[in-house]
Amino acid sequence: MTEPAAHEPLLAIRDLTVEFGTEDGVVHAVTGVSYDVFPGETVGVVGESGSGKSVSVMSLLGLIPQPPGRITDGQATFEGRDLLKMGKKALRELRGGDVAMIFQDPMTSLNPVFTIGDQIGEAIQVHNPGVKDDEADQRVVDLLTLVGVPNPAQRVKQYPHEFSGGMRQRAMIAMAIANEPKLLIADEPTTALDVTIQAQIIEVLKAAQHETHAATILITHDLGLVAELCDRVVVMYGGRVVETGDVYTIFANPRHPYTVGLMDSLPKLVGEEEMLRPITGQPPSLINLPPGCAFHPRCFLSGGRMLCRTDVPPLRPLGDTAHLSACHFAEELQERHPERAAAGGHV
Amino acid sequence: MSGAVQVQPQTSHRTYGGSGDEILRIEGLVKYFPIRAGLLRKQVGQIHAVDGVDLSVRAGETLGLVGESGCGKSTLGRTVLKLLEPTSGKIYFDGKEITGYSRRQMREVRRGMQIVFQDPYASLNPRMTVREIVAEPLKINGLYDRRDGRKRVEELLRTVGLSPEHANRFPHEFSGGQRQRIGIARALALNPRVVILDEPVSALDVSIRAQVINLLEALQRDLGLTYLFVAHDLSVVSHVSDRVAVMYLGKIVEIGTRQEIYERPTHPYPQALLSAVPIEDPTERGKRERIVLTGDVPSPANPPSGCRFRTRCWKAQEICAQEEPALIDRGHGHPSACHFAEPLAPLALGTNGLAPA
Repeated sequence: MTEPAAHEPLLAIRDLTVEFGTEDGVVHAVTGVSYDVFPGETVGVVGESGSGKSVSVMSLLGLIPQPPGRITDGQATFEGRDLLKMGKKALRELRGGDVAMIFQDPMTSLNPVFTIGDQIGEAIQVHNPGVKDDEADQRVVDLLTLVGVPNPAQRVKQYPHEFSGGMRQRAMIAMAIANEPKLLIADEPTTALDVTIQAQIIEVLKAAQHETHAATILITHDLGLVAELCDRVVVMYGGRVVETGDVYTIFANPRHPYTVGLMDSLPKLVGEEEMLRPITGQPPSLINLPPGCAFHPRCFLSGGRMLCRTDVPPLRPLGDTAHLSACHFAEELQERHPERAAAGGHV
Repeated sequence: MSGAVQVQPQTSHRTYGGSGDEILRIEGLVKYFPIRAGLLRKQVGQIHAVDGVDLSVRAGETLGLVGESGCGKSTLGRTVLKLLEPTSGKIYFDGKEITGYSRRQMREVRRGMQIVFQDPYASLNPRMTVREIVAEPLKINGLYDRRDGRKRVEELLRTVGLSPEHANRFPHEFSGGQRQRIGIARALALNPRVVILDEPVSALDVSIRAQVINLLEALQRDLGLTYLFVAHDLSVVSHVSDRVAVMYLGKIVEIGTRQEIYERPTHPYPQALLSAVPIEDPTERGKRERIVLTGDVPSPANPPSGCRFRTRCWKAQEICAQEEPALIDRGHGHPSACHFAEPLAPLALGTNGLAPA
């Protein structure tokens, strides 16, 4: 939500590199990723399957299997504490406490043999040992009310399979915000849901943010969701950040050919329709990444220039702005929607 | 957004769509699935997956069939091809009623009408090479001969943007987008006239999805195909369709040209659906009033009386529970199954001023 960002980042990721050892070779899932998340803001991490968008976040919280996964380089600090040097116990306390998560498929994170009420109550009591059972029960009902579960006093006694997909996602959001986290990580929170249910969950997410003032990392492939919810955007491709900036700038004036390609690939809901302009070719193999810029084999801007094939482009600021692009030739891209550049512009 | 003032029935944005004769027609199509329970698997109820659908598809057009999960759109697609046996109703393909056809008779029909499935991982046999997969329909129909068969398979692979060298590989060696191309090549092997596309791009990443959509459009143009395009993604359906039918709980609630459905919907369900789609433009944030429907889709085993949408509808009155609204033109130029059908205020969709729930 749009709140003035404080100057100290809540989460600071620097040069994060994560690899997975497989039989076929080393998978370079995340390479040299850096970004900040400030208190209260919503950052969208955007990319397609295999871009590293989920791994870049989950690895920080000890949520990737190690081995085969390993963090080979980088730092990540949360409120000044180094996440990568934290023990398993400290990380466990952090997760579900100051850092909470919402996943795509609620069934994988809800335990089928406990009632919804027991699970959310447990999440509260594990992190707050002083809370008595009846206090916890009341808090669960309050939370379910907040996320719009009807008849919460009855529904707490039900099991996950008795909830519909949308209701399960609400229950998971209730559990995520139970301990008033400072950072909420939502990994494709609406991808498995139908449009009308997705609209409900977007409203619930907004309410949850409003209630907790939590900073949010929204990991998604859905640019519509990003446009709707995020303050800033981090675009990933082939395990690296290729562009980052505030949401208005990224949509009005994308400065990486991959971001431009993603936007051109989207069919429009209404209005006159032209041919889609897809990105040609296939996503890169993370075992054998192309040399230089990983996007160069699919790039419309490169035009076979040598530099793209030899040098990895650094993520660099454009002018003196907070808009960063990892393209050698970012300045050659045309402004996409100059009329949208000023916030509030009409199309 | 020039659509608000267009009155005359607009021809398609694409020049090749929907001018031909009727090629596929379904009348009163019903498909129920039994619900069984207990030791003796006694039938205790029925899922009303498709519950009385009439449709007519013209040669060369794309009819988009859109709705949320469980609305019956995929069941409808499969029942049309008789992959599922209809409970009642009639299906006509190319003027002939095929409802009572035997399996052998259907083989003939399926030369002319094929299907592409959603999941490119589940719909290709992992033990068969691409050549065997694409050649299989030809062999089943006795159309594969050693000399020309190989050439035909390679030609099909080229048609869908794969190279003939791919023929000897296995499905696991391909990405999702390439697998979907293999599925399309297989569907085209018998030169069908109608292709039922069942969520053909839903499993694909954005950049790959656009490639496959463009391929499907090019194939339609070059081969004169007719598509029944089943999908839940409203933007994709808008892009590919000449006409669109919106389904809810086993019934079509509104049908019309793409412009009629997307720019002037009159049924509250399509109106809510369209308002719910997130738009890729942050400057529009907060300017569109979103109709957030309350509750979930009711169980198709026990659909509401009267209008099936009434339990989530902000317009619902007494009549909605008593009388099922017929799918008829209610003075807005295209059929709508709502007693209170009316378009939203002009330009409401995409900007502001929309009546909230």
